[in-house]
Amino acid sequence: MYDSVFDLLPSEANPSPLVRINSLHPLRDQLDRGESTFELFAKLEWMNPFGSVKDRAASYLLRDLEQRGQLTRDERDRDGKITKHGRGIVEPTSGNTGISLAAMASAKGYHMRAIVPEKVPEEKKVMLRLAGAEVDVLTDAMCPSPGMGEGSIGLARTYAKAQSDRYVMPNQYENPLNVQAHIETTGPEIWRQTGGRITHFFTSLGTCGTVTGVATFLKAKNPAIKIIALQPSQGHDVPGIRNKDELHVTKLFNPSLIDEVLEVPFEKAYTSAVGLCQREGLFAGPSSGLIFEGARMILERDKPAQGLGVMIFCDNVFKYISSMVKHLPALAGDHETRP
Amino acid sequence: MSYANPDVLVSTNWVKENLKTPNVRIVEVNVDPKVYDAGHIPGAASLNWVTQLQDQTNRDIVSAAGFERLLSDAGIKPSDTVILYGDNNNWFAAYGYWLFKIYGHQDVRLMNGGRAKWLAEDDKPLATDKPNFAPSHYKVNGFNAGLRAKIPEVLEAVATKRTNLVDVRSVDEFTGKIIAPPGMTETAQRAGHVPGARNIPWAQTVNQDGTFKAADELRDLYGKAGVDFAKPAIAYCRIGERSSHTWFVLRELLGVKDVKNYDGSWTEYGNLIGAPIEKGA
Repeated sequence: MYDSVFDLLPSEANPSPLVRINSLHPLRDQLDRGESTFELFAKLEWMNPFGSVKDRAASYLLRDLEQRGQLTRDERDRDGKITKHGRGIVEPTSGNTGISLAAMASAKGYHMRAIVPEKVPEEKKVMLRLAGAEVDVLTDAMCPSPGMGEGSIGLARTYAKAQSDRYVMPNQYENPLNVQAHIETTGPEIWRQTGGRITHFFTSLGTCGTVTGVATFLKAKNPAIKIIALQPSQGHDVPGIRNKDELHVTKLFNPSLIDEVLEVPFEKAYTSAVGLCQREGLFAGPSSGLIFEGARMILERDKPAQGLGVMIFCDNVFKYISSMVKHLPALAGDHETRP
Repeated sequence: MSYANPDVLVSTNWVKENLKTPNVRIVEVNVDPKVYDAGHIPGAASLNWVTQLQDQTNRDIVSAAGFERLLSDAGIKPSDTVILYGDNNNWFAAYGYWLFKIYGHQDVRLMNGGRAKWLAEDDKPLATDKPNFAPSHYKVNGFNAGLRAKIPEVLEAVATKRTNLVDVRSVDEFTGKIIAPPGMTETAQRAGHVPGARNIPWAQTVNQDGTFKAADELRDLYGKAGVDFAKPAIAYCRIGERSSHTWFVLRELLGVKDVKNYDGSWTEYGNLIGAPIEKGA
């Protein structure tokens, strides 16, 4: 029994689960022939209370703002109507950070304004509103360019600067607490769950809080652990993650901690997510699909005889139904054959 | 080496010092009015690239009468110094600049670094209220057709090879790997580029902070890509807005004599029956 949903937030004592990959193990044949003992696990971040890996950073960001006295609650009348605006949060988000922040902020009585690029899946926009956020959908993708993303980050900055009495911006792209959350939770969880046996860590790039935080912790424990970042191919359409060319927006990317950055054809994110659903019973979203595909490419290439890999599975597929159908139209049921 | 026309750029500091200068008018050009509404340079007017700077029926730039109406409503006079700025490295502000020049506005400039630089500087204020200027009776000063390329000029450039064709789209669009970036609604039947065009993606002309690169760097960038500065140039992209940014760089910063923006761009060219197309790098 828990006193509140906040007690469900992940920590070393309450880790998100690691689940073994069985039938889709990339070295299945080698395992069966006794040529390899490599173990591969998915860390199911969707088991976090607000549904994604972002619960970690969001809870750290929110707690810090509260502790520093940066937030005030909205005042409401008996009907719940706001009589006086407090100082809430404004944050650019492709969805998950916003959903976590909005859910936690709303539960604590703070206002949340989420700035999302137009291309974010409809489900995430609805989820943000459902969690109590005011949502600004920004038309900023007229022609994707290296400047892409400036739109939503710029708009959030504008609110925080022009209306500083109403908004403070935690800024997941620059706030070191985004990294700290993973140094203090994800890293220690993995170390403990694997009994220190981890040899490979697979994740994607976005704000880079996860890769930088987990790598900082794991490399301190054992510098030989391989940190592998998977990036979608250029011009990709995988919500929430970035190609290296899109990383200029984040200040948390530290390439010295990463052993290898591998590009994965972005369409594989979708087909691979289907495979995980149908063959492993893991309802993985497209970014998890991309990470699994990258891990598969690395393991089939290197064929390690032993070791243990952990993949971050950022969130599940439920928020991406429209994206899945867009890329795999057969899922809409117009065809008899399975994708 | 300095810019050919250094006066066409003003710094964020200059704008801050001139917020109350009579006859200096600041205009934000954007695609989403939410950005302006959330906070803008105090006293700045707003122009919307989608709904105001283009004809809403024909595929064309806003008409002279429409342009006069927009500027009159904003209280801008032909004698005003107009400072344009916007997001995405002044992408849409540069389109606005091109349009102001087409309609003969004498003194128009870009704020170097655009909205992002203003936001990043702590001493630069933002306002949320809309300025209240008395309407003016703006009259356009002619029509500079020489700043705009239409399809016959593009086809002539292909045939004669006497004009630099500068394709400012991404490498994948240029080589024909994709017709348009994912999710774009305006597209073409065919992928590739105008034969003989050089590919210099528009964003290569700006620094990380959104300001334009130094003249030497820009000259180097276009020179290495095979642009001959002694010849005229036509810049194009997909729908003609990214290319107005490059048009600005070539004409105003590098001083290329005869530069035209082909605003029909790939959505026109890639749909033309029989137009020659080249693929690959």
